[in-house]
Amino acid sequence: MSGSEIIDYAILIPLFPFLAFPVILFLGRIFNGTPTWVKNVKEGGIIALTVMGASLIMALLVIKEHMNKVGAADVFTWFESSWWESSGEITTKVFGFGIYIDHLTVMLLFVAAFLCFLINIFSIGYMNTDSINDNRNHRFYAEFVLFCSGMLGMVLADSFLWLFIFWELMGLCSYLLIGFYYERPSAAYAAKKAFLTTRVGDVFLVIGLVMLWNMFDGHLDYAYVFDPENIARVDQGELQIALGMMFIGAVGKSAQFPLHVWLPDAMEGPTPVSALIHAATMVNAGLYIVARMFPFFMEAEIGALSTLAIVIAIIGGITAVMAALIAFVQMDLKKVLAYSTMSQLAYIFTGLGSALWLANNGYDDIAAFAMGASLFHLFNHAMAKGMLFMASGSVIHEIHHAHHEVAHHGHDDHDGDHHDDHHDDHHDDHFDAQSMENMGGLASRLPITATAMFVGSMSIIGIPLIGGFWSKEGIIASAWKVALKEPIFFLPATLILIGAGMTGFYMSRMWFMTFAGKPKTEVAEHVHEQTPWIPIPLVVLTFMTLGAIVFAGMHAGHWLGDFESGHYTSFFDGIGYEMSHVFLNPDLFLLILTYVAIGLSLVIGPTFAMALYGGSLDEGQKAKPWMQWAINLSARVNNKSKFDNTAWANSSLADSLHKRLHFDEIYDAAIMKIVVGFANLSAIFDSKFIDGFIKTIESTSQEASRRLRALTTGSARDYIMMTALGTLVIFLLLWGVT
Amino acid sequence: MIDPAWVSGLAAILFIIGLWGAFSRKNAIVVLMCIELMLNAVNLQFVAAATHWGDVTGWVYAVFAIAIAAAEVAIGLAIFLSMYGQHETISLDEVNLLRN
Repeated sequence: MSGSEIIDYAILIPLFPFLAFPVILFLGRIFNGTPTWVKNVKEGGIIALTVMGASLIMALLVIKEHMNKVGAADVFTWFESSWWESSGEITTKVFGFGIYIDHLTVMLLFVAAFLCFLINIFSIGYMNTDSINDNRNHRFYAEFVLFCSGMLGMVLADSFLWLFIFWELMGLCSYLLIGFYYERPSAAYAAKKAFLTTRVGDVFLVIGLVMLWNMFDGHLDYAYVFDPENIARVDQGELQIALGMMFIGAVGKSAQFPLHVWLPDAMEGPTPVSALIHAATMVNAGLYIVARMFPFFMEAEIGALSTLAIVIAIIGGITAVMAALIAFVQMDLKKVLAYSTMSQLAYIFTGLGSALWLANNGYDDIAAFAMGASLFHLFNHAMAKGMLFMASGSVIHEIHHAHHEVAHHGHDDHDGDHHDDHHDDHHDDHFDAQSMENMGGLASRLPITATAMFVGSMSIIGIPLIGGFWSKEGIIASAWKVALKEPIFFLPATLILIGAGMTGFYMSRMWFMTFAGKPKTEVAEHVHEQTPWIPIPLVVLTFMTLGAIVFAGMHAGHWLGDFESGHYTSFFDGIGYEMSHVFLNPDLFLLILTYVAIGLSLVIGPTFAMALYGGSLDEGQKAKPWMQWAINLSARVNNKSKFDNTAWANSSLADSLHKRLHFDEIYDAAIMKIVVGFANLSAIFDSKFIDGFIKTIESTSQEASRRLRALTTGSARDYIMMTALGTLVIFLLLWGVT
Repeated sequence: MIDPAWVSGLAAILFIIGLWGAFSRKNAIVVLMCIELMLNAVNLQFVAAATHWGDVTGWVYAVFAIAIAAAEVAIGLAIFLSMYGQHETISLDEVNLLRN
């Protein structure tokens, strides 16, 4: 290991925020409420911003250094400890920490560090202007930096053990942050739900890791377990089960069917937390661990692990459609985005499943392409979703402030509770700042936010040339390529193709309901953008999303998937190649597929959304030109269409979608049946058997002592008598013995 | 020279008298005296046995026992004094704090 490389100091990336955690917490406790702390330090926000900035700079330096090298992974071991057997030989490395950097790490490192930084800027605008948060923001920022530290550490770790440790750190912080408004029962419930649901997955992850540890002679570090010789040595069936267990952990963390129930409730946390969980950190962790498995699939026996790859893809396909369906009816702005996150992550899982299948069956080239497409989608989704959440936070924030202005008389008790209980949507006296039923026509009033939402939605939908389009096409194409080889893949491949159209519908629906048409409430008329901290990250991310074409041009997709060597071609050639590859593919099947996907997502989905929810703005209100056309178009489509919104809204499907396809009820019922039943059984066992046993001992000894007590008369003469008798007995005994 | 067997017999009688007195009397001081009586019976037994075997060890034990008995009496009387201070009596029937 040569001395002076940046990578040697990569440990600082997670270390900075980790160390800032206690600092912010204790300074916050000491200086809470003082003017300097509130005004200049933003209750810890500035400290957090500084360390996140430092982490981002370090991350960029590390990434730059790695990019210059092209190719293989960088490994730097910080410390090792060894297990000494009695023979005196070092047999097993049990504990050590190091940095492992390859393309995958670089990509996630950038996403995490960059978004954490931007979300931090956003938080200062969002958290510090609400009186409800007064005097506890230091807690928010402390947990925030700890969360970021967990994610950064997880992507940099050089072994599955450390990955797991940081993974759990994130689990803890998600619990704390989702339950930030702990005095609200729904938030406390959501925090518990998120924690327990991911815990179910984590149990399986631990089982998987223990199995791996067993198979690889006590090694969990990547350098050892990814060694082709070692992979070839282990039992392939067992390996598949171990990886499957780890995949269940990923399902929990990334909120896939059937462990998805926590994600929508996680919206109870403050909006920056939603952005953090859904874009930058938590949900990407599950994807990361599945993507990390790639070398196993590459090196294992041909076809040995394909069942698992198929399962991954099918789980992805099911989640993609299911989440999109539920998103159709959500009225809560953030919940639409939550389901959209689930759906998009499911795309990535399907893409990863395809990549893993291809890798395991010897199609290394297209496997690398599928892998790259999936990771590129992760990148695009993270950028777009981070932006969408921050934009939604901006909308909610401004709506709430406008509501405060409008209802200034007599509604002062509403000060700051913009997260009102969602179940009270229809109460007149309870204004819900997150419900899209209270919005409408905001395009002219929140120009920056509307633009950001517009671009973000287009990226998620996959409008050609913008952000997610490049990667989504890649995923769909990969899935279909696998489907031609393995018939069972037709299921996920078809599902995600349908999902593309559904994405087009629900994202457009969200945008048009929020920004187009007439304001639906008086409050929406008074909205305007206030704090400068919120638009900055929105603008940055808008350009980031639009600029995905640059990355596509640099062959980011290929580069990400290729763990052996790097590609860099000329930028414009790259764009030209990507363009012709997507729009003029020589393979007729793929070409048709591309246009079907574009047609579904660009035409069918948005058109339905426009027909149902479109509409022009108020008289005299004018949106920015790049959005005005969409609003005009939606108004025209809406006028022409003969759809009846109410028929759909009253259908039983919509009703069951409102109830999230009854998953929560089923889980609750199952838990009631199983857990409560088991608890009752345990209670009987406890009271009858264990208590019975203990109580018998107790009552017997009490009875015995009660009788013995009669002997203690308290009279000295009796004691003398007993002593004499005792002596006599001893004497007799001794006599008998001799 | 008296036959040690007679001395031994006297010691046994003294011991039984002491034991009977310790059982039956109420007055703590009398009980203490009875205990002393038993101790001295044992001393006598020591001396008798020493004479019988022609071994001085028994005599030495007897001297030790007398010294220890003196200490014991001092402690015993101190206990009775403090007992009288608290209970205004030294009747053993009245003092039964350890009952049950």
